[in-house]
Amino acid sequence: MTIAAIHLLAARFFSTHHASAADVLAGRERPPALPAYELLVGRARRFTSLVTQLHLEVAGPLHAEAGEPPIAVFATREGEIQTAEKLIADLRESSILSSARFALSVHNTASGLYSVATGSTAPATTVTGANALAAGWLEAALTALAEGRPVLLSVADEPVPAVFQGPRGEIGVAAAFLLAAAPAAGRPTTSVQLAVTPCAGDAEVDALHALARAADAWQRGAAVTVPLGRVQPDAMLELHLLPPGARA
Amino acid sequence: VTTGHAVTATAIANCLGTDRGTVLDRAFAGADAFSPGSAFCDLPFATALGIMPELAGEPALDCTPTRQARVADAAVRQLGPAVAAAIERWGARRIAYVFASSTGGLEQTERALAPNPRLPLPAAGYCYADHGVDATTAAIARTLGLAGVRLAISTACSSSFKGLASAIRLIDHGLADAAVVGSADSLCRTTVYGFHSLGLVAPTATRPFARDRAGITLGEGAAFVLVERDTDATRRDALASIAGTGAASDAFHHTSPHPEGLGGQLCMRQALDRAGMTPNEIDYVSAHGTGTKLNDAAEAAAVRRVFERAVPVTATKSLTGHTLGSAGLTAVVLAVESLRRQVITPTLRLAPPDDELAVAAVGAPTPCRVQHVLVNAFGFGGSNASVVVSAPGARRS
Repeated sequence: MTIAAIHLLAARFFSTHHASAADVLAGRERPPALPAYELLVGRARRFTSLVTQLHLEVAGPLHAEAGEPPIAVFATREGEIQTAEKLIADLRESSILSSARFALSVHNTASGLYSVATGSTAPATTVTGANALAAGWLEAALTALAEGRPVLLSVADEPVPAVFQGPRGEIGVAAAFLLAAAPAAGRPTTSVQLAVTPCAGDAEVDALHALARAADAWQRGAAVTVPLGRVQPDAMLELHLLPPGARA
Repeated sequence: VTTGHAVTATAIANCLGTDRGTVLDRAFAGADAFSPGSAFCDLPFATALGIMPELAGEPALDCTPTRQARVADAAVRQLGPAVAAAIERWGARRIAYVFASSTGGLEQTERALAPNPRLPLPAAGYCYADHGVDATTAAIARTLGLAGVRLAISTACSSSFKGLASAIRLIDHGLADAAVVGSADSLCRTTVYGFHSLGLVAPTATRPFARDRAGITLGEGAAFVLVERDTDATRRDALASIAGTGAASDAFHHTSPHPEGLGGQLCMRQALDRAGMTPNEIDYVSAHGTGTKLNDAAEAAAVRRVFERAVPVTATKSLTGHTLGSAGLTAVVLAVESLRRQVITPTLRLAPPDDELAVAAVGAPTPCRVQHVLVNAFGFGGSNASVVVSAPGARRS
């Protein structure tokens, strides 16, 4: 089944190991670099984790482009996993926890700091779990349709510390997408169609490449279909981007 | 007549009990079910905790028996017949499963990684998949026979209301006809020590809206609701309807509430607007009511601004403890039951109330006309959400 079309007004991409989304797709790595996350200043930057910095790196500029404060949908598969490791290490060693670190350990740390930094009282939520990429897109699209105002979707994850023996990798990645139910007046917008399609077997999606493909296609004005992962036991979500003038 | 989404079943487990009837009876009787903190783990400070009793029988869930899974299991096993009827009505693929939690499987990770510094990390048998917020999702969906859309939400203590709103959007936009919305959070050392580090843990049982309130009593618990598309059939089976939901951010501070409860005001007003109601139609407010000085003061300010009258207010965390991501739905399940019993649950240990808050907190089980209840769930990140729960077929004035 397909979901009513929405519109993509802008996109941002950041990888700790790639200079651009195009470089991800071309396999060109750079020396690791950290996000600048200029949305936060002064003391607000203290104790922030990489995943929060990644979110704010891409969400900050898109918030500025939105015109009216968008509803925020943040998505993260692993959440504040590096902060969790530090808290558990503290419990292990001394049973004394840093209040600042604990405060920033919740999955919605990035969306909370984002709303404080931007002064936006618009709702903000955080989607998580193994299908966070697909579920985040679904949540963002349905919110845009339901609320009739712009929605900022920010997707980010940081590497899982080795101690957890979880997914391996060293790359931190983030992408943000500014979505709306109606096209923006005065500027070309890319049509977004989400489709729930049957799938069998492994539907695991590499978030780095899925986000890079979507962001790169938006930047180039190209049509693209991106599998986003499973949303039902036997179905996955596909993202179709259709820029102005392109044919379905 | 109110329209909305039909709540056709509820499930609840927490320190009051592991079966729905016991929890509801004890809640409406005002039972005090807290334990000393030492019953959970060694603690270098005094506190009470809401510890769920042991669960009898074999686990219903075929997943790692983590503490979070055990808490969720107690609620899931209450839902079987109602979900089976919904599957009969809609088909398994048309019933979504939305799960909400703040800590997920964190307690299992603590257990594996924290207890013994001499052990290699992680402890044998630890599986990272048991750490996540959605660690129990597949097992719960399998147990209940659900094959619809799945998603997981984690926005600290507002999680379950964000999940409820997501489920309603799935129904409204045709991706589902019904949804099981579940929430579970177990106790874990990170939250007990963490809230203590913030100076928010009460040394004795929590006393929301009391003059001498001193903070939170943490608890563990699960609350689930089955929400269905509004039809003649579901209206006939409904225990209640979700008449409206609202959400807003404080945009003030990550852990401290806006002094005037700005986000709370906005989300209460939005929920009322969406329910098509005025504040005068709400019979009582089930407050977030954590029992901290600042939270209760901010929420009281928000309630005063929105209602402009002495609307009755109760704080269910005085009964269940603060069950974090599950707190909102826990209060909704109790609100649904209040529609049936026509009684407001008490705010325990209220006396003497804090008169400066100027809210009409209810200190004892209070019989009264209950047709519409507004329930709040606020959390870290300035994340605020409200839900209006209405009696089936209730009329608006």
